[in-house]
Amino acid sequence: MSAVVPAAANSLSPAASRQRLQWIGLAVLLIAACALPFLVSNYRTFQFTLVLVYAIALLGLNILTGYNGQISLGHGAFYAIGAYVAAIMMDRFGMPYWSTVPIAGALCLVVGFLFGLPALRLEGHYLALATFALGVTMPQLLKNKAVEKWTGGVQGIVIVKPDAPFGLKLSPDQWLYLFTLAITVVMFVIGWNLIRGRVGRALVAIRDHPIAASAMGIDTARYKSLAFGVSAMYTGIAGSLGAIAIQFVAPDSFAVGLSIGLLTGIVIGGLASIPGAIFGAIFIQFIPNIADHISKAAPWAIYGIFLIGFMFLMPMGINGAIRLGWARLRHRIPAQQKGG
Amino acid sequence: MSAPLLDVVDLHAGYGLTRVLHGISFSMEEGSITTLLGANGAGKTTTLRALCAMIRPQGEVRFRGERVDARATEDIVRLGIGHVPEGRGTFVHLSTEENLRLGAYVRKDRAEVEKDFDRIYAYFPRLAERRRQQAGTLSGGEQQMLAVSRALMLRPRLLLLDEPSFGLAPLIVRELFEILRTINQKERVSILLVEQNAAMALDLADRAYLIETGRVVLSGSATDVKNNDAVRASYLGY
Amino acid sequence: MEAFLHQVIGGLATGGIYASVALALVMIHQATHLLNFAQGEMAMFSTYIAWALINAGVPYWAAFFLTIAFAFVLGLAIQHFVMRNIRTTSVLQLVIVFIGLLVIFNSVAGWIFTYTIKVFPSPFPKGALWGQKYLSPHELGAICVTLVVLTLLWAFFRFTSLGLAMRAAAQNPGSSRLVGIRVAWMLALGWGLAAAVGAVAGMMVAPIVYLDPNMMAGILLYAFAAALIGGIDSPGGAVLGGFLVGVLENVLGAYVVGNELKLGVALVLIIGVLLVKPSGLFGSVQVTRV
Repeated sequence: MSAVVPAAANSLSPAASRQRLQWIGLAVLLIAACALPFLVSNYRTFQFTLVLVYAIALLGLNILTGYNGQISLGHGAFYAIGAYVAAIMMDRFGMPYWSTVPIAGALCLVVGFLFGLPALRLEGHYLALATFALGVTMPQLLKNKAVEKWTGGVQGIVIVKPDAPFGLKLSPDQWLYLFTLAITVVMFVIGWNLIRGRVGRALVAIRDHPIAASAMGIDTARYKSLAFGVSAMYTGIAGSLGAIAIQFVAPDSFAVGLSIGLLTGIVIGGLASIPGAIFGAIFIQFIPNIADHISKAAPWAIYGIFLIGFMFLMPMGINGAIRLGWARLRHRIPAQQKGG
Repeated sequence: MSAPLLDVVDLHAGYGLTRVLHGISFSMEEGSITTLLGANGAGKTTTLRALCAMIRPQGEVRFRGERVDARATEDIVRLGIGHVPEGRGTFVHLSTEENLRLGAYVRKDRAEVEKDFDRIYAYFPRLAERRRQQAGTLSGGEQQMLAVSRALMLRPRLLLLDEPSFGLAPLIVRELFEILRTINQKERVSILLVEQNAAMALDLADRAYLIETGRVVLSGSATDVKNNDAVRASYLGY
Repeated sequence: MEAFLHQVIGGLATGGIYASVALALVMIHQATHLLNFAQGEMAMFSTYIAWALINAGVPYWAAFFLTIAFAFVLGLAIQHFVMRNIRTTSVLQLVIVFIGLLVIFNSVAGWIFTYTIKVFPSPFPKGALWGQKYLSPHELGAICVTLVVLTLLWAFFRFTSLGLAMRAAAQNPGSSRLVGIRVAWMLALGWGLAAAVGAVAGMMVAPIVYLDPNMMAGILLYAFAAALIGGIDSPGGAVLGGFLVGVLENVLGAYVVGNELKLGVALVLIIGVLLVKPSGLFGSVQVTRV
């Protein structure tokens, strides 16, 4: 007779059971997200559509800044490009809304990559400065007389929110939310695979030890420009979706405040984290709504305090705080008995 | 018997987790030239840094009877300790004259400071020639002279010198050490000299301490240490 | 020809303002190797304080000097309470703190003073005797004030022992301690002076562009361009760069890119200098050690 009690047939190792928990959690989240538009008002649905839009943009910025360490204070520019692509295609060319998203993405991928090439020669503060300059200048570039025919100048462009297809009994807000949700899921899956794999590891290596990384054979130039391109693509896609949701693009919506808002989003959500994009998106969508009542300036004051406060207290953002708390909690609970 | 100028008791110090000094004890009389000898990594520079609070020491350091081990560098300087650091620490973008003026930064006696410029230029005429020149363009030997002069502008009671011979031609070192001897005798500036070049140091000093892996292993008058067989074998090469 | 001269001389006037802000940027960079993204907003906020004082009945020049004092203390406070306590070397985290300061100053100004555009008075008399063809009295006055401030600052750094100590502390903090300089105080003083210079720039530009919380955003960009062109480590270069950028902005804006795209000039200058000659005209080349 063996003294060892055999393990119960259906128990898993701690790591595997944690993974299972994560998958279950994600599934629950997805179901809740799908159900949302049927549970709340159209306006709320619209707000959550914007949360998804920002989440995509934040994931894009995080790929570049969080994971790859290239600071961008001008990502609002790519968002603006995506938004204007959508608006121009729909309003000037009468193209269907769903075609604008991949085109915005493709265009921003190229523009981002091209911007990433000279950015290779800029480090740290100087890259921040160059992108900051881009962010500040963007509204002027959009208002420029030379492109006014397309961009609508100061007045901007108004577009119409699409109706649900195939005669589905959904309001435009509900349909757009589900459309955006689908794209968000796709973008997050792609991003998750990218980060988890070789590319992600290369990006992080380049961020932490660029000289060592290139000494190990990583083509830093290629990865860094690619990071810029992919990051811009994400943000451009977000921009196009955002334009369709808001039904309006105008140069002053894309001032440097947008870039700063995106940066705030990833700082609060958590640099170099995927769930952080969602936390950050919720923050930058809803804080202005709540704080606006106090004063027009209040949301920005809150952003500023959070930016500085987080650097002192919670540099890893909300996501980091959760992971830290979770890890501490797990170590308090005694190890499960093995078997029996 | 008056108290020693500098009294170091059981000094422990290091960089982060790396502990370098494991209980250094020595003392210096006013007016003496004392040298700390030892191989690379023995802890000589670390000792000087600890004395000046460039790193935080544990243990007791008394200067003229006062405890200084818990003070900040800027305050220790004001007590009259001039430190000529390893690598000279020249302000390379400033002129020679500006470097010297900075040496007298804590002093309040304007007129005397101007006189000291003349004194220094008398000891080191080459610095006078280069007074407006950017300090970073001076030769190694000149920068060492500038570093010593800068410390002297403080009118220190104690001069700490960290490997002044490093990277210099022997002739220049000899010249420098002669001037140090003169300064010690004429102006009663006590000197604590850290050196790898044991032979030249023992010629200049009157007392010596040998440091190995963070501890004092031998002490005595310079002559005795010079004649010590173990020292001769390991550090003097004969 | 007359129009061209008008653009050039007008460019010198705004150039003086760019030169002042650029100098503030260089001062902080020399001491900390950081780019103070919040410099413009600090200047803007100080200008609002001046406005409030003047509105409360304080005579212009009294308000002017009180504001300079306020800005000085403000700069000191930021260095002492915020910058000194940051325990990170991560460039990203540092940039984020600067952006946070930028945002806070901008929003607090908007909160207290609202976003309505305000008129800011000029101390210089309206009817000038000469040069009115090319230069308004205020522009001329602004150039003079700028030059006076820059000269005073230069003299301070060049001829006083405190100025020498500050230069030393910025270049070599370790050796500075060894001669008894209290480096932390020097750093705080540097921030205070930079903030004060920025405040002067703000008060000189506000009568021209009108006072609102976003007044300095574009100017900050020009100032960065100026600092980069002159060499981010060179105060003299920053001043020269400022005047150069002012003239370029006006000339290119009038004859090449059109007035609406003037800011684009700053963008191109910044990126151009960073790519082609990052050390600028007078700066030193930085070597990165492995």
